[in-house]
Amino acid sequence: MFKTFALVAVSALALSACGDPATGGAGGARDQVKIVGSSTVYPFTSAVAETFGRNNPGFKTPVVESTGTGSGMKLFCAGVGAGHPDIENASRRMKKSEFEDCQKNGVKDIVEVQVGIDGLALIESNAGPKMNLTVEDVYKAIAANPYGKPNAAKTWKDVNPALPAIAIKVFGPPSTSGTRDSLAELILDKGCNKNPEMEALKKSDADKHKDICTKVREDGAYVESGENDNLIVQKLTANPDAIGVLGYSFLEENLKDVRGIAINGVEPTYETIAGFTYPGARAMFIYVKGAHLTAIPGLKEFLAEYANAWTPGGYLAKRGLIASPDAIRAKNAEIVQKLTMMTGADLS
Amino acid sequence: MTELAAMTPVPTAPKRIPTDWKSDLMQRRIRKRYASERRFRFIGLAAVSLSVAFLAFLLITMIGNGARGFTQTDIRLPVNFAQTSLMLDPTALTGPNAEAALAAANIQGATEEAAVAAFGPDGADYISDGAWLSVRAAIRKDPAILGKTVDIAVPASTHIDIAAKNGADPEIRAAYQKLEATGRLSTGFNLNFLTGSNSNDPTLVGIWGAFKGSLLTMIVTLLLAFPIGVLAALYLEEYAPRNRWTDLIEVSINNLAAVPSIIFGLLGLAVFLNVMHLPRSAALVGGLTLALMTMPVIVIAGRNAIKSVPPSIRDAALGIGASPVQVVFHHVLPLALPGILTGTIIGMARALGETAPLLMIGMRAFIPAPPAGITDPATVLPVQIYLWADEVSRGFVEKTSAAIIVLLVFLLSMNGLAIYLRNKFEQRW
Repeated sequence: MFKTFALVAVSALALSACGDPATGGAGGARDQVKIVGSSTVYPFTSAVAETFGRNNPGFKTPVVESTGTGSGMKLFCAGVGAGHPDIENASRRMKKSEFEDCQKNGVKDIVEVQVGIDGLALIESNAGPKMNLTVEDVYKAIAANPYGKPNAAKTWKDVNPALPAIAIKVFGPPSTSGTRDSLAELILDKGCNKNPEMEALKKSDADKHKDICTKVREDGAYVESGENDNLIVQKLTANPDAIGVLGYSFLEENLKDVRGIAINGVEPTYETIAGFTYPGARAMFIYVKGAHLTAIPGLKEFLAEYANAWTPGGYLAKRGLIASPDAIRAKNAEIVQKLTMMTGADLS
Repeated sequence: MTELAAMTPVPTAPKRIPTDWKSDLMQRRIRKRYASERRFRFIGLAAVSLSVAFLAFLLITMIGNGARGFTQTDIRLPVNFAQTSLMLDPTALTGPNAEAALAAANIQGATEEAAVAAFGPDGADYISDGAWLSVRAAIRKDPAILGKTVDIAVPASTHIDIAAKNGADPEIRAAYQKLEATGRLSTGFNLNFLTGSNSNDPTLVGIWGAFKGSLLTMIVTLLLAFPIGVLAALYLEEYAPRNRWTDLIEVSINNLAAVPSIIFGLLGLAVFLNVMHLPRSAALVGGLTLALMTMPVIVIAGRNAIKSVPPSIRDAALGIGASPVQVVFHHVLPLALPGILTGTIIGMARALGETAPLLMIGMRAFIPAPPAGITDPATVLPVQIYLWADEVSRGFVEKTSAAIIVLLVFLLSMNGLAIYLRNKFEQRW
């Protein structure tokens, strides 16, 4: 018995030893691009990583980790060196505080690339009541304190007499999610600011404004449904009266079961999101560490592959990415080519 | 009895009225007792059937969905290499620069051209995005095919694959039926699923990368947790004095075994990554973290197994002159080993199914190649399932179920091994 164990132990040690010299610890050099960040950008970046690995046998396929935008930023800004990731996927722009954090930790040079657009879509089951909402309706229905008063709305009719008397039930992303940030910023905040008082409050007391405008109710009308967007689709099929909030690519893939809800009369489609006429459109970014561009083999080539892939007919579009307008694409292709560093001056 | 009582005058006991079993009161009590008996048996049976029903539901849905994940629809694609725009010289593929020549050629474009030529303008949508990989493999195997027209089996696209397994929109069904009529479709066992790694395309994914990651992680866990756990258990049972300190240690170990696993993940993040700077996403760190979690389980199981070795064995060994170390290693440990192993394997099975601590140390990642060693980026089976469950493409639904089946089979074989070892080596006194 002991002999068997000894054998297993020795062979396992031998196995582990053969992997050691190649990658080494955090101190040594690295020959593989490491990417962290948003779960929304993850499918696109991993698709580029896979294609890059296939077409360039000389480089190792990059490792893409899905940590969420916020945690990814922390890892990305923690420092320069083989132990820190090279690229950060972000479903929103870098915040000023994050940029300052990066600068403080020695991450001076950062390349900011806008890779495309992701649409946040409100959806309902194909058996649903064909809702037609405005950003105000959505805000009044799911905000914790619409315009400063506690939310008492039980049905959509309470929110807007033109809507059917259906109980408010919204399945959406949890507060840790980048999609939730977008919901707050693109829909709730806009709905909130339709009220001139709130617009005024924004100038006088920004914190209070943020609380009133973006805090979501917690009495069961808004159900946090985890990061698993497939689950939301399933829930909607089971509850035709409920509404879901998720990424546009999931809507496109599940048109058999669900359809988009028009907001302000605009349906979520490829065109409306690409043209930013649907309120739920947001840009997606990747941030690249300038100091790693020469140190990590394959990083520049990976960026070039990304620029190659984000065109309207490219393979990312097949996976649900909405290509940026031509001008923005051209600008970002130039950034990738010249590796222009961001200044951080226009961050908020 | 009554005669005896009559002969010897003893102080008469209060006269005992024989129980009237027929009385209403008694009948009620009897009925109550039987009812409670029946109730208990019914509740017990209901509890068992409920758990069996859940298990059956899980297994049936998993196998129902997952079985399809192990199959793959292939299209025999006729490729006329002479007609396609592929610029590739067969002689270049025999030299040392063969790989570079293959990488430079636009095989993907050529494959799509061939699909369009064979199946009409939508042809490129019928084959998987990775179909050209099969074509490349065929060229690599036999460069001579470059001048000819050959049939190459390539994976069908997800839509066609789903249609072949009965479940797609009418539009795609029509396309499928058209393809079917050409006789070029075949659905067979998907070997690539067992040998490949993660991919973005459900027709190309495989479970081997995650499986190997799990295997490496488990080896690290076992190598650390087993010796430390067993030695700790031996010392605590055989050598440690009984005092306040050992009591405290015992309570702490029991507590540790019940700590939620995410806490161990945070600990692993803080100690192994932030202080010791070990590589992120590596099986080494995963194994270390899970070893922390598994060790208390092994200590507890080990102590119970050692406790159940009868003292007479120790006394006899000591009596014929064995030293305490000899007693422990020649007698106590071999006799306790089946129990220790059972505990270890159950602890390992728990570690195998663990996701939460591994998310903290970066194993929730897209890793398209199996790890070569314990410091390479790796992912494990449960994390892979978690990632696939979140994928957009509908083809991943059945792949997720198939991955769950692989995990269940892995767990089942580990538990089976535990039962086998217990039965084979168990001693009864």
